[in-house]
Amino acid sequence: MWTTRVAVARRTFADSRIRTLCFALLFAGITAANVVGYRKTYPTVADRLRFVHAFGDNKSVRLFYGVPHDLLTVGGYVAWRAGGTLSIFAAAWGLLAAVRAMRTEEDAGRQELVLAGLIGRGGAFAAALAAIGAGAVVLWLATFVGLVATKLPAAGSAYLALAVVAVIPVFVGVGALASQLAPNRRIALELGSGALAAAFLLRVVADTSSLGALRWATPLGWIEELRAFAGPRPAVLLLPLVAGAILLGVALAIALRRDVGRGLLPARDDAEPRLALLGSPAAQALRGERGSLIAWLLASGAFAFVLGVIANSVSAAAFSKRVQEQLAKLGASAVTTPAGYLGFAFLFFILAISLFCCSQIAAARREEADQQLETLLALPVGRRGWLAGRLAIAVGAAAALALSAGFLAWAGAASQGAPVSLADLLGAGANCLPTALLFLGLGALAFATVPRASIGIAYGLTALAFVWELFGPIVGAPSWLLGLSPFHHIGLIPATPFRAEAAAVMLVIAAGAALAALWAFGRRDLTGA
Amino acid sequence: MTAIRTEGLSKRYGETLALDSLDLEVSPGEVYGYLGPNGSGKTTTIRLLLGLHRPSAGRGFLFGIDAWHDPVEAHRRVAYVAGEPFLWPSLTSAETFAFLARLHGSTDTAYRDELVERFQLDVSKKVRALSKGNRQKVQLVAAFATRADLLLLDEPSSGLDPLMEVAFRQTVLEAKERGQTVFLSSHILSEVEALCDRVGILRRGRLVDQGTLAELRHLGAQTVEVTFAGAPPQLELPGVHVIQAGANALRCEVTGSVGPLIDALAHHDVVALTSREPSLEEIFLHHYDGSDGRVDD
Repeated sequence: MWTTRVAVARRTFADSRIRTLCFALLFAGITAANVVGYRKTYPTVADRLRFVHAFGDNKSVRLFYGVPHDLLTVGGYVAWRAGGTLSIFAAAWGLLAAVRAMRTEEDAGRQELVLAGLIGRGGAFAAALAAIGAGAVVLWLATFVGLVATKLPAAGSAYLALAVVAVIPVFVGVGALASQLAPNRRIALELGSGALAAAFLLRVVADTSSLGALRWATPLGWIEELRAFAGPRPAVLLLPLVAGAILLGVALAIALRRDVGRGLLPARDDAEPRLALLGSPAAQALRGERGSLIAWLLASGAFAFVLGVIANSVSAAAFSKRVQEQLAKLGASAVTTPAGYLGFAFLFFILAISLFCCSQIAAARREEADQQLETLLALPVGRRGWLAGRLAIAVGAAAALALSAGFLAWAGAASQGAPVSLADLLGAGANCLPTALLFLGLGALAFATVPRASIGIAYGLTALAFVWELFGPIVGAPSWLLGLSPFHHIGLIPATPFRAEAAAVMLVIAAGAALAALWAFGRRDLTGA
Repeated sequence: MTAIRTEGLSKRYGETLALDSLDLEVSPGEVYGYLGPNGSGKTTTIRLLLGLHRPSAGRGFLFGIDAWHDPVEAHRRVAYVAGEPFLWPSLTSAETFAFLARLHGSTDTAYRDELVERFQLDVSKKVRALSKGNRQKVQLVAAFATRADLLLLDEPSSGLDPLMEVAFRQTVLEAKERGQTVFLSSHILSEVEALCDRVGILRRGRLVDQGTLAELRHLGAQTVEVTFAGAPPQLELPGVHVIQAGANALRCEVTGSVGPLIDALAHHDVVALTSREPSLEEIFLHHYDGSDGRVDD
């Protein structure tokens, strides 16, 4: 029975090893880059004091990185700059790992075979948790190595690494619970992402308003209160542990009672026929993506509105010219005015909409892997027409996301009387599109040439380019290397002018890649999972 | 001890009653055919027996153990072939065998190699590259190689070609010779007829008939064909139903004894007389006659 659990745990671990490895590299890279970058940018105490002066109270920067507790030491800076971001990544990793182990396997019908063996529901649950725990240890180790390799003290590094992964039990619990409630993988992921978004939003409110106590209401806030390298409070670790244990306990209780392959929430298996959006393969694809498209619109719209509201609290008066130079080195060049701040913030929308485009490539690939595409293409439906339709949906949806984000950011800013124009912010929204479409085109080309790897390539390229743009300057990379990232060539409207030639180049590459994808997809074999 | 026993086993999914108070007993060493059309509750029964789904009422036992309450003990002597060959796409067949053997706890590797040979499997191929039939073969080899006391097979020969169907039947008969119990859910009547000692017929979640083939036949109608020297007579006999009347021949279905028919024919000039027992197909169709007999999954 013990060997059975070990076998299941090893299978679960192997299943997600690539994702865990990618996250581990990201964690090690980001922490190391921050340490090196801080030492390089602020070598003297005087430099650091100026930096603290500028950031001590800057709410707009807190929005992304959380509350700084000590910016005078390398450790304190890294804990703030990397800790807050990485804990969100760690939460996402925990969520994905739990849903993958506990719901995707059931959806695929494999859990039935596992549970027909010498393993009970509780044993299978424990085995999945053990595998996820092993993955969390890998992430901890990667973060620790990233910090120690750059000569931070070992004990403090171990604690900061622990703080980064401490959020994992909570979100594994969330994922496990969502997997019990939801009747399928998609709904489980939607429930879990909703919880993560709520946790992030609470942290944003706590960090940028006078309601600092709210930090205790969100797991992401607990991580800030662990205060690595700034008067550590290890007792706070109990919070994520206890919360995780409670969530997992409830999930296990449900798992022990529920029918395998079904969720606690009823799946709506009967429905009156609704014939809207069944006219063509593209329309049907849109029908399938409708739910997630609405979720993207709501989430990005809400975030844009909050950004707009906060933008007005940014005041140039707090920044001396010297500090502005410092900020430039940090890659947050012009966050000293509402317009500058919004320009910087839209960098994240460019990322988000690019990731949305990746999700559309992933959806196309899943349609192929799950063999619905085989059924479609056996009908009088052309392959190139099918792919073109899917890409057109992605372009249209990306445009809707971009413009609605611009409009809502303007609405938020205008509600506070900030001096930014609607045209500027719609421009900032539209400015997301060249980059996003570039990644869509490249993703489509990957889909058409190396289908099995295409989802990873699309997301990987986008994430890599973004991380490189944020951290490349910090480690002092030469400009030709920085220039490899498309994010490097964007004019951050409304802070800096639109860079028409760069946008044109990206659009031309995007169109070329898309055409090449259409050509190549017409020539290759359909490829199963 | 019985290999399988259920007491009033029932399962309701929302509005649908998928299994209605099933009472079933399968003895060790028996090959039991579980017949029913799609959606009649065959898979539900197996899931309940394995403790994968929770009974709405009643209980099921594998060798006396309720799998809902103690799945590990209950599964110790059981191997399962799922209705759809969902396996791990990134594993090869050999890796799948190793993993499933771990899950089951024991396996007869020599017999497994023999089965791999018999089913003509290329074990170095990844499961994602296999056709449905080949994935089904992977499941079958893994299950039979465990030499488990009880094999729960859910439509095991779906996707198999006729040659592999022969190999499958041979493997079931070997298991039977070794005294293993086989619970064979199927809608392929010829397979059940060839392999099974006893048969249960499921209709809309209810067990409507059960017994050995001989018992079922006894209850069913025989077909009798009579050829006369001249025109056939008008027959009005209880239990005799004329299906077809030709210029000098009659075909009728006879329920119960054929005695009265023979008596009646004695007064006529009979040239030839053949009688045939009902096939399983006829028994099966008899139970579904005039109704669709289906429920939705």
